Amino acid sequence: MVNVTAGTAKPQEKSINMSPFAIARRKFLRNKLAMISSFFLLTVIIFSFLAPYITTQDITKVNISLMSLEPGGEHVLGTDKSGRDVFTRLLYGGRISLVVGFSCTALVILFGTVVGSIAGFYGGVVDSILMRFTDFVLNFPFLVFVIVLNTILFGIVNGLYVLIGVISLLSWGGVARIVRSKILAEKENEYILAAISIGCKPSKVIIRHLLPNVLSTIIVQATILFASMIVAESALSFLGFGVPQSIPSWGNMLSASQEADVLRDKPWIWMPPAIILVITILSINFIGEGLKDAFNPKSQR
Amino acid sequence: MNKIEAEKGISTKPKTDKEVLLDIQNLKTYYPVKGGFLKRTVGNVKAVDDISFTINKGETLGLVGESGCGKSTTGRTILRLLKPTEGKIIFEGKDITTISGTRLRKARQDFQMVFQDPYASLNPTQSVGEIISEPLKNYKSMSKKDIKDEVMDLLSRVGLPPEAYHKYGHEFSGGQRQRIGIARALALKPKLIIADEPVSALDVSVQSQVLNLLKELQDEFKLTYLFIAHDLSVVKHMSDRIGVMYLGNLVEIATNDSLYAEPLHPYTQALISAIPEPNPKKRKKRIILQGDVPSPQNPPSGCPFHTRCPMAKEECSKVKPILKEVKPGHHVACILY
Ligand SMILES: Nc1ncnc2c1ncn2[C@@H]1O[C@H](COP(=O)(O)OP(=O)(O)O)[C@@H](O)[C@H]1O
Ligand SMILES: [Mg+2]
Repeated sequence: MVNVTAGTAKPQEKSINMSPFAIARRKFLRNKLAMISSFFLLTVIIFSFLAPYITTQDITKVNISLMSLEPGGEHVLGTDKSGRDVFTRLLYGGRISLVVGFSCTALVILFGTVVGSIAGFYGGVVDSILMRFTDFVLNFPFLVFVIVLNTILFGIVNGLYVLIGVISLLSWGGVARIVRSKILAEKENEYILAAISIGCKPSKVIIRHLLPNVLSTIIVQATILFASMIVAESALSFLGFGVPQSIPSWGNMLSASQEADVLRDKPWIWMPPAIILVITILSINFIGEGLKDAFNPKSQR
Repeated sequence: MNKIEAEKGISTKPKTDKEVLLDIQNLKTYYPVKGGFLKRTVGNVKAVDDISFTINKGETLGLVGESGCGKSTTGRTILRLLKPTEGKIIFEGKDITTISGTRLRKARQDFQMVFQDPYASLNPTQSVGEIISEPLKNYKSMSKKDIKDEVMDLLSRVGLPPEAYHKYGHEFSGGQRQRIGIARALALKPKLIIADEPVSALDVSVQSQVLNLLKELQDEFKLTYLFIAHDLSVVKHMSDRIGVMYLGNLVEIATNDSLYAEPLHPYTQALISAIPEPNPKKRKKRIILQGDVPSPQNPPSGCPFHTRCPMAKEECSKVKPILKEVKPGHHVACILY
């Protein structure tokens, strides 16, 4: 302990041998709001995916004798107008909403990153063509396209896949633009020239050198997207153009509130999905903020 | 016995018969300027505008000039990191101006670069071990252990401790980071290293250490250097010959001694007069240049330097002087000679 000062090492405690990602992780773990949000999100995910082990109620079977029961007794959160258990549908609905949100996010990040990084790295004609295509996709009338495709493909392909495919195909433009602008800035650094001169192929320069350095941006984008994809699913389902009515999702459950008597007199039918949706979105956003902060080299700790 | 062999070596290879490693012929590199709402090319930044020189095996050619005169562009074009607009780059007798793809990647093993900015030239997400082993992984089919041994060897040669292997760039000082960059450039045992202002971002106290390291490595690995700097005092200690650049042109090139003893181009004279001279008796009057450096997008007609030259004549604005040999090994581009 005494001869610690013998060397010229700075008293920088434990930051020795830490990659930028290790430093970001440590910062994130110290962020209380982000940690609480992560904990909550994790709980929602676990409950949704363990639904079959938590409740044994049938999610689809209509039961006229149990219509619109108030919460209590055998049905913790009551039943809806078709006599189905709200709690059970909430869990199974979370499953669908989270899966749709996650799949869309993953696909959007994948398309957006591939297009954005190729456009940014190569520049010139490749960039022009890809970015004009991106503009075209960004200006596509989203809702119209979803409705038309849903109608055409109804019954041919599983409605859920249509929804995920359509949302993803129309939403990657923003990510492509952000990734491109980040890559454009990052590739000006001399380490990219160094990578080329030590014999890295273009694909390796992008994957090993450019993407890890814009990964923080991509991760933050992904969290924001995850929240907005869940909202998009809910909104489309609420309007009746999203997840097929036979499958429960938070959006489908919310659409029950379109009936005036449910909205006014039977809050147990639409309040649970509304509350869980809001809290889930909030916690994802807090996690996003926490990540942004953690990756920012200028923030303390 | 060694002596005899050494003498033999000298007799078979007389000193005058130097082997040319790099031959640059009429090299031009322009950056297109995009403008207008259709993003069309509306002009060119003539960063390198027709320069020619050669570098012999084992020597150091210094390249000096003010910031913005096109030194980095020259270095990067020679390494084919930028596309030359015109001219030829001949390395070991092979024309590498237009090769691409796999052939270019193969050729890159022989020429490497040490960069100016010790912070931007190391990937912040890679550890030092990853940075230095990457060139080996790209070209050599070596076992993991051999690569690690090789990296450890390189670390010790550039004066870094073995512990550096697992650390990241941000944990080092500028001088140490520059050593990491040197080790990376050295990993493939290249023939030519272009050092682009390798010490200009470093503290003065560290500069000489890095310069000495570069010199030691040159002897050890028989390296040839193109050493870029923006002031003559750094280049003086490193180079065998020196080229002086102004506004994308090479205005004078000569051996070290010849250039300092008798600078011919008015621009070189001004640069040399600006070097601080500790001995007051030897001090000469400093030549202060008038005006600003013209824009490389719109260079002056005739001699690029005539707008600031204290000795400019009328014809200087009309005829562009070409580089000619006025004394053995001393070339200058000026109508005065
Ligand atoms: N990527 C680029 N695009 C356009 N102009 C550039 C670019 N890089 C450098 N230039 C211009 O080219 C000229 C030469 O630059 P450079 O080779 O970096 O000079 P030096 O290394 O001697 O300081 C400068 O006028 C600079 O502004
Ligand atoms: Mg430069």
